[in-house]
Amino acid sequence: MEDIAIIGYAQSPSWRQADLTEPQFLFPVISDAIARAGIDRRDLGFTCAGSCDYLSGQTFAFVSNLEAVGAWPPISESHVEMDGAWALYEAWVRLQHGDIDLALAFGSGKSSPGDPAEIYPLQMDPYTITPLGADPVSLAALQARAMLDKGTLTEREMAETAARSRASAAGNPYAQVSGPSDVDALLREPYLTAPLRRHDLPPISDGACAVIMATADKARAVCERPVWIRGIDHRIEPHQPGMRDLTESLSTRQAGTHAGVGDKPVEVAELCATFSHQEKLLREALGLGDEVTVNPSGGPLAANPVMAVGLARIAEAARAISERGAQRAVAHATSGQCLQHNLVCVLEGG
Amino acid sequence: MSDAKPEAPDDGSVRMMDYFMQLEYHEPLCPVVMRYADELLQGHVTGHKCPRCGLVYAPPRGYCPICVVETTDQDEVVLSDRGVIANYTVVTPVQYYGQQETEPFVRAGILLDGEGGMMNLQDVVEVPVDDVHVGMRVEAVWKPEAERSIEDVTNRSWGGAEGCIVGWRPTGEADVPAEQLQGRAF
Repeated sequence: MEDIAIIGYAQSPSWRQADLTEPQFLFPVISDAIARAGIDRRDLGFTCAGSCDYLSGQTFAFVSNLEAVGAWPPISESHVEMDGAWALYEAWVRLQHGDIDLALAFGSGKSSPGDPAEIYPLQMDPYTITPLGADPVSLAALQARAMLDKGTLTEREMAETAARSRASAAGNPYAQVSGPSDVDALLREPYLTAPLRRHDLPPISDGACAVIMATADKARAVCERPVWIRGIDHRIEPHQPGMRDLTESLSTRQAGTHAGVGDKPVEVAELCATFSHQEKLLREALGLGDEVTVNPSGGPLAANPVMAVGLARIAEAARAISERGAQRAVAHATSGQCLQHNLVCVLEGG
Repeated sequence: MSDAKPEAPDDGSVRMMDYFMQLEYHEPLCPVVMRYADELLQGHVTGHKCPRCGLVYAPPRGYCPICVVETTDQDEVVLSDRGVIANYTVVTPVQYYGQQETEPFVRAGILLDGEGGMMNLQDVVEVPVDDVHVGMRVEAVWKPEAERSIEDVTNRSWGGAEGCIVGWRPTGEADVPAEQLQGRAF
């Protein structure tokens, strides 16, 4: 595999309801990522976007997102109806071909116009599960319940994860939910969907993230401190939640092994634990010990711009290395319900 | 699983289950479209003129996607409500569930006079569908001020001007040669 590096990244703030359209708030994010990479927009050999037309309720919404990239004269581009982390994966594969040296990946979404509890059941089996209204919160509650019943997790641990995420997010200008919170007070709150309380859920967010990647020679030529992608892998499990053990994540474990997570010590991990109980599950699947700093950005419990939140984990892991002196970091992204599909990316400094 | 036989023998016919779904979306207008909508209510079509290439976008988007530069209120221009049909299509409605239309209708791209600006997906009225053609000069038919509505205006680029403009009718002036309209998708 060719060495590929991240040489620029940018995010929008995470808003409960953005005033701007998706292309409008993507516009400065993509321009910032390009500026930070120190390259010319016209030198990008490939662009890949991740977004979901169901979120905005508009067919081909992803086409207008390209207006924020600059697509005239025509550019080489692609789109995944997935989180931007998978757009980054496609762009990483494209860079492996060796005929181009710069690629842009971005993810964006506005969750605010619709009702997630109505939209998300449509990603399920349309005959048996969608008509039940199986939304992400209900399914995540089943997963948390399975972990509690198995004894691998306590409600206090879930609240501690939420409190730590909010405290960490205080230093993150892009976060939506942040600040100090008392674990005992959180545990006195009523259940929203038992055993989940409000703090166990992510916020509903609008937002975007963009990442610029380069091949090795190009990265060294234009970037003082490139962040190297040492391993990247993604694995998927059956979409019927009843067909797998929800208390562990086999696909994360496999992706982590293939990406080489355990080959050397990890300092920082940015995990797409969209619900509080999933953090411990993911730590175990990736073999991350207590010495690893998890979600210093606050993670998805602090900002959850669907379709960008996974790519933001990669951008935040890259930030930990390029701006905060970490040497090795792991980023995780997820798709589907109850951690059905997982991507793991291992990043290292020079 | 039960070993019981199905109650009715399978006669081989296709079995279907109706499942009607509805998704509702509510998105407030972004500031530049809000301003465009306010101007429509007053009988003005406005757009943003790219400070770099001069292309005019109606409704405004807040940027020029060709030059990749942001545009602001400083770039706003008041546009003509007269123009020429630069492209069109005749839509023959299929009576799917929820279809409101019953007769063939036109959706046209109108290139506005003066500063320019393309109003896309516009209705053409007061003329038989078969007579609509590229190069036909048209003018906006405004609703009376009291009847104007911006309920259908959305952040999506085609704008929803139909709450204020009934459609565009031929002026009877000489056609603009079609060659002059080539390359005008924006």
